[in-house]
Amino acid sequence: MLRYTPIVFSLLLIYQAAYAADLSSEMDYYQELPVVLSASRLAQPLSEAPNAMTVIDRKMIVASGFRSIPDLFKLVPGMYVGYYKGSQPFVSYHGSPDQYARRMQVMIDGRSIYMPPMSMVDWTTLPITLDDIERIEVIRGPAAASHGANSTQGVISIITREAGEMGGTQLSVTRGGKGVNDVSARFGKRGETLDYRMTLAYTADNGFDNLTAPPNDYPITKSQALDLLYNSHDSNQARLFNYRADYHPNAIDRFDVQFGFNRNAKNVGWTDSTGNPVHDLFATAGFLQLGWVRVFENDSELKVGYYHIRHDQHETFLTTLLPQFIAQSVKVDRDEIEVQHTLPFSASNRLVYGAAYRQDRTDSQYSSLAPIAPAYVSSLSTAEWRLFAHDEWRITPRLLLNSGGMLERDGFGNNRLSPRVALNFHATAQQTFRTGISAAYRTPSLMERNFPALQPGELFVVNATTRSPGFRPERLISREIGYLGEFHDWNTTLDLRLFSDLLSDGGFQNTATTYTNGMSAEYRGLEATLKHSFNENSELTVNVARESASSNAAALAAAGFRAFRSACPGNNDTVACSTPRNNASALYSRRFSGDMSFSAAWYYQDAMQPLDRGVIDYQPIQRRMDARIAKTFNQGGGTKVDVALVLQNLFDAKYTDYVANNVFNRRGYVTLTLDW
Amino acid sequence: MSPANKIVRQLLQSILLLGCLVPVGYAADGLNVLLVLSDSNALYQNFANTYRQSLPVGVQLHSLQRAEDFNGQHADLVVTVGVKAAERVAMNTTQPMLAVMIPSHSYAGLLAQRPGNKLTSAIFLDQPWHRQVSFLRAVLPERRKIGVLYSTDTRLEIAALRSELSDHGFTLIGSALGSDDDLFTRLESVLTASDVLLAVPDSAIYSSNNIRNILLSSYRRSIPLVGFSQSYVRAGALCAIFSTPEQLAAQASRATVSFSQTRKLPDAQYPVFYEIAVNHEVARTLGLSIKPAESLRLQLEKLSENPR
Repeated sequence: MLRYTPIVFSLLLIYQAAYAADLSSEMDYYQELPVVLSASRLAQPLSEAPNAMTVIDRKMIVASGFRSIPDLFKLVPGMYVGYYKGSQPFVSYHGSPDQYARRMQVMIDGRSIYMPPMSMVDWTTLPITLDDIERIEVIRGPAAASHGANSTQGVISIITREAGEMGGTQLSVTRGGKGVNDVSARFGKRGETLDYRMTLAYTADNGFDNLTAPPNDYPITKSQALDLLYNSHDSNQARLFNYRADYHPNAIDRFDVQFGFNRNAKNVGWTDSTGNPVHDLFATAGFLQLGWVRVFENDSELKVGYYHIRHDQHETFLTTLLPQFIAQSVKVDRDEIEVQHTLPFSASNRLVYGAAYRQDRTDSQYSSLAPIAPAYVSSLSTAEWRLFAHDEWRITPRLLLNSGGMLERDGFGNNRLSPRVALNFHATAQQTFRTGISAAYRTPSLMERNFPALQPGELFVVNATTRSPGFRPERLISREIGYLGEFHDWNTTLDLRLFSDLLSDGGFQNTATTYTNGMSAEYRGLEATLKHSFNENSELTVNVARESASSNAAALAAAGFRAFRSACPGNNDTVACSTPRNNASALYSRRFSGDMSFSAAWYYQDAMQPLDRGVIDYQPIQRRMDARIAKTFNQGGGTKVDVALVLQNLFDAKYTDYVANNVFNRRGYVTLTLDW
Repeated sequence: MSPANKIVRQLLQSILLLGCLVPVGYAADGLNVLLVLSDSNALYQNFANTYRQSLPVGVQLHSLQRAEDFNGQHADLVVTVGVKAAERVAMNTTQPMLAVMIPSHSYAGLLAQRPGNKLTSAIFLDQPWHRQVSFLRAVLPERRKIGVLYSTDTRLEIAALRSELSDHGFTLIGSALGSDDDLFTRLESVLTASDVLLAVPDSAIYSSNNIRNILLSSYRRSIPLVGFSQSYVRAGALCAIFSTPEQLAAQASRATVSFSQTRKLPDAQYPVFYEIAVNHEVARTLGLSIKPAESLRLQLEKLSENPR
């Protein structure tokens, strides 16, 4: 008693009168609480992941200064971010593909936005802004067992901010060079059983700068120069809205409701193109996503999700070939339902398994192309299903075996099994070695199977009948050895990956309207990410990738396939040539006292020849430096004002992106954000 | 009065009568204990079962399932379980009383109800701050900025926690939440400056409605939450140190035996027995290597022996 007498005595004096009003009781201690951080909410740590993974978190997103989502992937080792036009970005792994970049799965909160008919991601019509993103996990390597069909070369998984993350209102305005003009309003509210947030935004820019001299000193004629040098029709405008609510009526269930909308208008086409002149392409994209998660007594978790995506695009333009306007549209509907159960067998073994069914419907049409062709309508739908299972077994505290696979029947009747096995060995508490092998398949796109007879404009009105019925899924087998050192004492982590990715049955266009398999390529390389905190206010991330590719492209070119005709000086292997040998990025950020912050980013990519572009588009070494400086003014009462200045390509290094007239000169913009 | 209560009452009365027949010299055998539960739910039943089983043969135990059932019934010792029962008994009798499962800070108020009554003692529900701090030292020795969010009218001894922490080289990053303040604005400011969030039993903040966004906010910042019950660990806290009803019952039974021999109650005491729970999934996700609960307990015991 002696020990506690002073406390008891003082309490006695203070609380004698207030005793009756005391509400605290043993129920504060023994109350039942909802299971908040259940299995599906917990991110897998790098040391436990069966694949190499890069995480881009909010801090990095802000520090990068980027205002478009695809640019963020410049911060992933070995990733290629390209632009067909300023309004048409694409992201790929292992060098440049064509502008559709079909070999990566991309998801937002588990919703696949890798859409038909091209099997590509339309980055400009996503119904989210950069500010809606909590983090992005990029899996480098196939991951069908955990991320579903078409998780071939890799997976981009965008995780948006939870409904309850924001309480209050935020207004943000960005103005800058090249028509940069973004406005957004965000609002969020947390409640006892319902949290929600919403975003209303407008973003616009005028794309790339103009070329002022022939690229790469390439001799061009005056008329070519007129087309090439002064082509600046690549602006983009999006109006978007999204809403996310989290309803949690009790301790074991939670419901996630999301919907969103994007109305996008962009410049497409080329001044020197007869069939695809400069014009506007309009897109309306919307989605609805419903999720239910229930946690059971034994900590197993059932997750049921459904989503619908509608992606409509249309364009009207006048060519020099026909007297009348041509109107085209492509409408895609996707419905998917997935059931997943996470079952912890024991403290050392956990199984995640489930099934999913997806239906895609593509309706496309063009108006009369008289006298060449009549109006055309095609309507195609595909249904696919998959079963998947993934087991995480801690054989010993040091040894973790991840094994799993996905069995799918794609929309064209192909049955495929995509297995994955990885062994993680924690050599010490700070060092992990990983070795793994995985396989995955890419389902043929509708465009490849049902290539259009005529393709005026930007959109692809797919053929109603299949032209390439024998076209099979591409296969990728990836083998890797990874090392992760997490040296907490030095505030440093080092992530290394040695890989060999083997692509077989690669698809290519063998005639004007058909595709076939037969390309094979091997990508080998080393990727490294180093993260270091100098102190609690400054961080550095450095990514380096060194990669080489070899393929049978030269043989295919010799066999007469135009798709592999090399535009690369001194190299017949177009695949090898389109894979930059070295690629690096660095991001440094620092916070100062007085609510000031500074960050700088540097990007490097070796010279390369984009895969399906001509000699004129040879892409010299890219070097770019970006910087951001920001200050926060706290107005008290929870109100704050942020001012940020971003300068991109600070030293005005001359470089181009995929197409030679995609010139990115120094530009800057200012963002003013008000929170209350 | 309900028939059930009537039966209980009659039963109690008959037992009380029987109790009078036991010779005085055999105090332990004849000790008449009345157990008053705050409520009849499983929490209190678990206590009652363990308590009953761990009492020596011969102690006569009668139980009241709800605090309201106590109307001054006679016993050699009244053992109350929970705050409600403690209040009820303190107000209605001067008999020797052992209040179990009450927060330490509510004990002073209880004593005030029984001025001058020496035959009052308690077994607290909460862990002493020094044990809580030793626990932090054992689990996360490197994380020294301990965020604590509490309401302005809390009765927790935050100043005592602050000094206990600073004695061991830790810093308390505290924020007091007034009734007009926004919980999450405060929470964000605490999280910004801390590397651990220590939950405290303050129902204005740590309610089942708030816990979800508190856990999510701390998880987003990779800041572990240290809770104070098993359900915190299940919800997503990194770890917790706490005493179960069964453990408190075992301690209460020891105090009862001691009372039977000496007719004196031990001093009010914090729990002797405690559990440690760790959520290893959360630890892994946050990249923390946390020892198994048993190793932590050993380390904690060592730290308690050598407090500095």
